[in-house]
Amino acid sequence: MNVLLIPKSPRNPATMRIRRIFWSFALTLTLPASVFAQGNAPTIRLFPTTVVEDLRQTSSVAKEMETGLQEVIGRLDQQQQLYQESKCDGAESDPGCQRLAKQLGATYLDMLGIMDERLPDMEHTVNNTRLSLEKRLRSELGNKMTPWTLQETLLGSGSQATKSPSPAMRGRSGMRLSERFSQYYQLVASSGSKNDQSLAVLASDIYLDMDETSELIARTREEISRATLIEQLNQSFGTITPEMMEVVGGVKSILFGDEADYVQVAGPPPGSIEQAYRSPLEN
Amino acid sequence: MKKSTLSGALQVLALILFALSLSSCASNPPLCSSPQTKNLDAAVGVVQRSLNDGCAAEFDRYYDDLLTLAEGDPKPENKRAFSEFLVWSTDQGLLSQRQAKEYYNRYFNVKFVSLEGDYNNCSHTCPRRDQVMRNMERELSDKERGLLHVSLDNAGYYRADELYQEVELVLEATCTACAAGR
Repeated sequence: MNVLLIPKSPRNPATMRIRRIFWSFALTLTLPASVFAQGNAPTIRLFPTTVVEDLRQTSSVAKEMETGLQEVIGRLDQQQQLYQESKCDGAESDPGCQRLAKQLGATYLDMLGIMDERLPDMEHTVNNTRLSLEKRLRSELGNKMTPWTLQETLLGSGSQATKSPSPAMRGRSGMRLSERFSQYYQLVASSGSKNDQSLAVLASDIYLDMDETSELIARTREEISRATLIEQLNQSFGTITPEMMEVVGGVKSILFGDEADYVQVAGPPPGSIEQAYRSPLEN
Repeated sequence: MKKSTLSGALQVLALILFALSLSSCASNPPLCSSPQTKNLDAAVGVVQRSLNDGCAAEFDRYYDDLLTLAEGDPKPENKRAFSEFLVWSTDQGLLSQRQAKEYYNRYFNVKFVSLEGDYNNCSHTCPRRDQVMRNMERELSDKERGLLHVSLDNAGYYRADELYQEVELVLEATCTACAAGR
């Protein structure tokens, strides 16, 4: 009986499709928050300088895309406001309204053009980051670790040590695209101050985010040409589809973040450290 | 004469009764009933006696009975009672060390016994990731019982729950990376 007591511690199919993609894109790009913890120096190499540089580059490309789109989206907002104030809804046959609708459509085409121009760079940098991380995860966590060592890494060196509650993973929203990548960069660039535990979670989170983002950028690029063609046709008729406005809304939320409400979830009740018991049977 | 006949008859009767009692012992298996007391320590004593009296095959049921009983009076000290009971079980040869550890850690440790394995994740864990996660989920529910409902170790249980989510995320990423490398 050897027992130890130790303390523990729309209607148009094309625009509908692009809207759907934009929304999924927006959701994906508003994904992870990460885990922070202080502790030991990392012994697994998940973030070599190449990955850090790739993240910095992605943030900078996202920033350029935002800057490029900011002006055109501002213009779209103004034109839409003018259209509504002129009571053009339901008066589409009015020549003035038709002119406004055409202007709006042209600006919309500008936006699609800018996206079409910028997305390849974005895709390239996101892919680079994804591939670097993929290689690292495969090597460090996939080939060098067993499920048991992975668990111990995640728990940290003190297996029974409890850590401060971490923010929810993969749920961040309302943040600019460039800010997201910039935060990744900041997190990773200062990874020397974090332990393996948070690094493994952080690397996994970024990798999965990049994987989804990469796929969505590719799909969005495919849809942009289709949406451009449809809008060029709409231009001939001078119509504004509500879907068009939704696409613009989607792009805005991707780039500049939306007003998401943060739901505060109550934390766990505090454990009693004094009463902690460690069995000799524990691993 | 009468006296000696009477004593002889009594001797025969005693012999018959003894033989009957022996035969009934041989043919009737032990009852192996569950402990009736609500006190964990007393219940452990009852279970220990039953296990020693031929009810070893009922170990799983007894362990579950003790857990249910302890849920009725949850406190941090219950961990120790279970640990001591399992150590006693290994001392008695009812359980191997490995079995005792599994019984304890499955319910009272943050770490998941479902994650034991000697081979790397790409080759061993990823091909059966769904199964691993299902096993972990079942184990998490046992931990809820042991850590939360039996020993009031809320922090331990929430850390186990968090660990489950982290393993799920990290395995998803790692296994996607492993698959991409093939």
